[in-house]
Amino acid sequence: MTARVGQALNIKGIRDGLLVKASSGSYADLLRQLTAELAQKQAFFQGSRVALQLDGRLLDADQLAELQALFTRHELELWAVLAEAEATRAAARRLGLATRLSGSHTDLDGNALAGAAPGVAPATPAQETPVAPGGLLLKETLRSGQSVYHEGHIVVIGDVNPGAEIIAGGDVIVWGRLRGLVHAGALGDESAVICALDLNPTQLRIAGHIAIPPDERRRQPFPEQASVRGGQIVADLWQTKH
Amino acid sequence: MSAKVVTVTSGKGGVGKTTITANLASALAMLGKKVVAIDADIGLRNLDVVMGLENRIVYDLVDIVEGRCRLRQAMIKDKRQPELYLIPAAQTRDKMALSPSDMILVCDQLRQEMDYILIDSPAGIERGFRNAIAPADRVLIVTNPEVSAVRDADRIIGLIEAEEKGPGQLIVNRLKPRMVARGDMLSIEDILDILAVELIGVIPEDESILISTNQGLPIAMNSVNGSSASQAFRNVAQRLEGQAIPFLDLTPKEGFLNRLGNWLGGR
Repeated sequence: MTARVGQALNIKGIRDGLLVKASSGSYADLLRQLTAELAQKQAFFQGSRVALQLDGRLLDADQLAELQALFTRHELELWAVLAEAEATRAAARRLGLATRLSGSHTDLDGNALAGAAPGVAPATPAQETPVAPGGLLLKETLRSGQSVYHEGHIVVIGDVNPGAEIIAGGDVIVWGRLRGLVHAGALGDESAVICALDLNPTQLRIAGHIAIPPDERRRQPFPEQASVRGGQIVADLWQTKH
Repeated sequence: MSAKVVTVTSGKGGVGKTTITANLASALAMLGKKVVAIDADIGLRNLDVVMGLENRIVYDLVDIVEGRCRLRQAMIKDKRQPELYLIPAAQTRDKMALSPSDMILVCDQLRQEMDYILIDSPAGIERGFRNAIAPADRVLIVTNPEVSAVRDADRIIGLIEAEEKGPGQLIVNRLKPRMVARGDMLSIEDILDILAVELIGVIPEDESILISTNQGLPIAMNSVNGSSASQAFRNVAQRLEGQAIPFLDLTPKEGFLNRLGNWLGGR
């Protein structure tokens, strides 16, 4: 049972529901084709659980929420998003969606699996596992309007531009220029720190504290670490301890 | 022959997308290319005015898409360049009159007979913007040397990357070299530092652009008056063609009046 719709969309049945594969094409095309397909085959699909396979495509939380609402309108339940991009996976987790097809021992093509498939970790049922507060590694520059949320630590290899925001339950490390907004320890951890090669943010928040950096211009960038000391956020020059 | 589709966009309004589209289209046509400029700003059309073709409009882009005319009927031939055409936007409709796939369809029909299809995108990041970038092979991002325009350009670059349309190339418009020299305006280096994309053009602020825009005569076609903006537009066209053209030297010159000003100011 495979429905091929144009090139952007591919819907097929897998063991526990439907797998909607949408790995290329624009988001607008995806949305339109999906709307058409669901309207046409509503009776056939009705009540299924849906896993959405995006591969390398980037979708933000708003777009995922829009798709989720579209599925809900057609009496389908979106439960998992399979994406390679960490930012997309983080957005999916934020919506309470699983990011892997676990529990059932099937691979992405619906075939039964003997062992673990690469890219799919069948070890723990994803829905029961709250996000392990480990690290989220982003190897990309976050541009204005992009937002990343993760309950653990976040490491960015790239810049965080003005207008971008990072919200982490743990620490935030930016291997690049930090010029946007960062909230570390967002779940209340006052011991969280924010490090950057060039700490020049719009605003920093750690737990319940907010700091706006002083207006100094044109300085030589140097790595700094911000933390809460004496009830306020302070930034210290990064130095190796001898 | 298969045309390149180049979309000119910016996020922020008023940075000069339409002026740049009109001038690039003209400059490419002057290089002997077959060019069609499409105004995707449905409901707020301007490109026809800047190109001086407003009074020749009979059919528009929405008429093509909704089947009220053939593609050819909506293509307005330029007054001066024989191989330059304009497809105007509809003025009485809105952005929802078009979809991204409509734009792809129209461009695919034009690709056979053209060298370049330039699309003038509306401001914003909504439907109109999505329509404009859907068929694009290349995206040119226009910004001004000011913080708000650069911020919006950054957002646009992120959206273009998400649509897998490449990082795009940057045109900095309305640069005032003297203000940059004084440290009162963002320099090209400051802008590239944030946006980290390839620069394809720097257009200096020039009063003659405003004059030519009001006259409906793109300044790029006027190569005799020695305007540096006119030269800058023609340089961008040549860079689009793949030629390595050095950027204009825009360091302020010490003219007589300027020296006089400095001398008076220094006392």
